[in-house]
Amino acid sequence: MHIPDSFIPMGQAIVYWVIALPFIFMSIKWARKELDDMKVPILAALAAGIFAIQALNIPIGMGTSGHMVGAVLVSIIFGSPMAGVLVLTLVLLVQGFVFGDGGITTMGANILNMGVISGFTGYYLFVVLKNKTGIKAASFVGAWIGLLISALACAVEMSIAGTFPLVAGLATMGLYHLIIGFIGEGLITAIVITAIEKSRPDLLDSSVTNVKGVRA
Amino acid sequence: MSVAASSNMNMKFLYAGIAIALLIAIAAPFLASPDPDGLESAAGSIVEESKLAGMEVSAPFVESPMADYAIEGQGKMGEVVAVVAGTILVLGISFVLGKAAKKK
Repeated sequence: MHIPDSFIPMGQAIVYWVIALPFIFMSIKWARKELDDMKVPILAALAAGIFAIQALNIPIGMGTSGHMVGAVLVSIIFGSPMAGVLVLTLVLLVQGFVFGDGGITTMGANILNMGVISGFTGYYLFVVLKNKTGIKAASFVGAWIGLLISALACAVEMSIAGTFPLVAGLATMGLYHLIIGFIGEGLITAIVITAIEKSRPDLLDSSVTNVKGVRA
Repeated sequence: MSVAASSNMNMKFLYAGIAIALLIAIAAPFLASPDPDGLESAAGSIVEESKLAGMEVSAPFVESPMADYAIEGQGKMGEVVAVVAGTILVLGISFVLGKAAKKK
């Protein structure tokens, strides 16, 4: 879902940067407030893992592939969507400048879609669901729907840019990311969260493991 | 659990995380699907060919040193080196930035 430079006119690309920047600043503020010597290694390992897994495209049929985005996973582990914004910003910076994956002018839109929209939607869906369905199902649905919503937002941006027609864009992006989100995002996120909960529950933010949602 | 022991365990998580990330990075060039991703595939099916061709030839805003996760003329090994280098770069930047930002 990495939008290249040529897909959005410069003026609109700047608007998405202006929308994304406050979230980037808030994510740095989050880091200053929440990160300590215990959490920095976890954040760094997650960021590296998410960069690597984004290089692993999974075939979904119809001559199309997709990969995990990871914002929801990071947000659930740290108990804040700001963590997802921070990690995705770092990953997208390296992808854009070093590997030409996603544009530079369009990086604001990419941070907005994959970091902010997928992370916030997925994380808060997880929060709402976890007391009813448990952590496993909630992380699966949150990650899946978070990715789908960000793909639909991307289709709307493509339509405003005059790149895609709106309805065809929504239908195609929606269909592809419904499938990508199920396998690449939902399943992987649920598996990783379950594995961490079983082996190192202390790594998960207390708001996640405490099913009543009350911070210890 | 003492702070030191817990910190030690988190360093273990870091090493395990790095090991998993590097394994994925090495395997990705061999396992990744060559099919276009959702956005490119959507563009291919709903954007008129002439318009799409124009968008594809337009140069990116900044030329990347390892465009498309590859090193020119280095084949699969170049791709492995590129993804591994990117993984280590993201790890390093996140670690340094995290250490710099963390509460004192």
